[in-house]
Amino acid sequence: MGDFLKLVQNENMKIYRRLRTWIMFAILVLLMMLFGVLFYMGSSSSPIGAWDAVDQLSFLYFLVSIFSVVVAADIVAAEFTWGTIKLLLVRPWTRTKILVSKLLAVLLFTLAMSAVYLLANMAVSFLLFPDIQSGVFPKGSGGPLGYIMEDLLYNYIDLLVITIFAFMVSTVFRTSGLAIGLSMFILFAGNIFTMLFHPTRYAWAKYMLFVNMDLGQYRGGQVGPAGMTLGFSAAVLTGYVLAFLLIAWFVFKKRDVAA
Amino acid sequence: MVQEPVVRIQGVSKKIGSKTLIDNLTLDIPPGQVYGFLGPNGSGKTTTIRMMVGLMSITQGDILIQGSSIKSDFERAVSHVGAIVENPEMYKFLTGYQNMVHYARMSPGITRERIMEAVERVGMQHRIHDKVKTYSLGMRQRLGVAQAILHRPKLLVLDEPTNGLDPQGIRELRDYLRILAKEEGTTVFVSSHLLSEMELMCDTVAVIQQGRLIDVKELNHGDAPADGQRETAFDVDHPAQALELIGAGRIEGSSLIVAVDRSAAAAINAKLVMAGISVYGIRVVTRSLEDQFLEMTGGGHIG
Repeated sequence: MGDFLKLVQNENMKIYRRLRTWIMFAILVLLMMLFGVLFYMGSSSSPIGAWDAVDQLSFLYFLVSIFSVVVAADIVAAEFTWGTIKLLLVRPWTRTKILVSKLLAVLLFTLAMSAVYLLANMAVSFLLFPDIQSGVFPKGSGGPLGYIMEDLLYNYIDLLVITIFAFMVSTVFRTSGLAIGLSMFILFAGNIFTMLFHPTRYAWAKYMLFVNMDLGQYRGGQVGPAGMTLGFSAAVLTGYVLAFLLIAWFVFKKRDVAA
Repeated sequence: MVQEPVVRIQGVSKKIGSKTLIDNLTLDIPPGQVYGFLGPNGSGKTTTIRMMVGLMSITQGDILIQGSSIKSDFERAVSHVGAIVENPEMYKFLTGYQNMVHYARMSPGITRERIMEAVERVGMQHRIHDKVKTYSLGMRQRLGVAQAILHRPKLLVLDEPTNGLDPQGIRELRDYLRILAKEEGTTVFVSSHLLSEMELMCDTVAVIQQGRLIDVKELNHGDAPADGQRETAFDVDHPAQALELIGAGRIEGSSLIVAVDRSAAAAINAKLVMAGISVYGIRVVTRSLEDQFLEMTGGGHIG
């Protein structure tokens, strides 16, 4: 029946035809430029290399996480708010396919936003700090680019988990506010939880979502607290993500759409 | 009419908790008609429609559309359906045309030409590239109809379509639905609690109350068979004298009311005139659907 990719195309249209989305991209690029200039002015006494600037500017990736969460939190809930969910559900597509098309559109958005982030970061860094020599990055292991990309990958996985969490809350509660709020809470309160319930003190704590989200802690084969490894955290995260998706799917499939 | 029904509602019940919203509803909807679904508020019209289009699950029974089950073969069953459930919902930040494209992508084989054809049918071609947020309710209703007929559905389901429309909008919609049924053979299933409106719009009306079907009535729009006996009122100057002369019927006000066919009515008229009684008017007495409805539902109490 029809072409599934057209559903994804529809979801993309609903994301990119909104002014909001372009404001997000603009904020990301503008802040990147702003902080680049600030670093440039602050580094007149001790100059830094372009790759060092890329690394320093990478804290702005949290914006990508926030914007991804906003889009994911809205994509199902908004259809309920607008009443347009009825439009989608009375067409010859199963609810599963509708939900998957929305999830795919969100994932494409996270990729697009990450790509814009990376391009903006590199462009700002290399334009302002054309001196490519860097004293900070160690030799070997793929050089600075490899290091930056590995870092980005860890951050992206962190983003994915939180975005899919927002997607689930959006689907289950049909309110984007709650989805955004809870996701931000996890994003920023995670460290506090990790401190309160540290895996070295509580055996069960290593199964918590928060303590596993930062895969960067295993960089270079390091072992985390209480013997946690990269494989362990990856497995726990996969488990959580699958659970989020199953809950979202089950609720979306079963729900009676009234009002 | 021996044609296969477009919709078969078979022993459908809907229970939420211990409350039964729809109780063992069975109804066949024949093709090519404007079929009304009438009931007081809270009688289960919208619930039934939501089950028909897959927005709500069916507790018991099944609904077949063109022979496909909405439960077990949803995609095929619903591909025959175009629906507006309650308000026509649009993406306000998109233009009318983008909304049409969005809808078209969800059905196979809809061309640009078909989109413009549907838009012109509802007379929206001049505003179609404006954002929907600038549209009035009537315009959104039209665009909703254009969407719902885009894939040439066998069945068009409209839930309370005239809510919030002005008299002109109601009239346009009514005429349009009748054209759709007559010219394209689309079956239109329309729910409402407004009786007079249903009377003007529909070929057949099913009446539902408290989740149960209580009656199915065929309505004739003045083109009923001429040989039927119908209550006919003769407006005369001396009703008592007329009653004596004819020897049948009853008096209501200044009218004599007799159940006769057309030729008998003419004969009575001649007789009255011959007897020197002035006949000011002859008309067929029709009880309005409203009278019948209130009779059936006992005043239409909720719940």
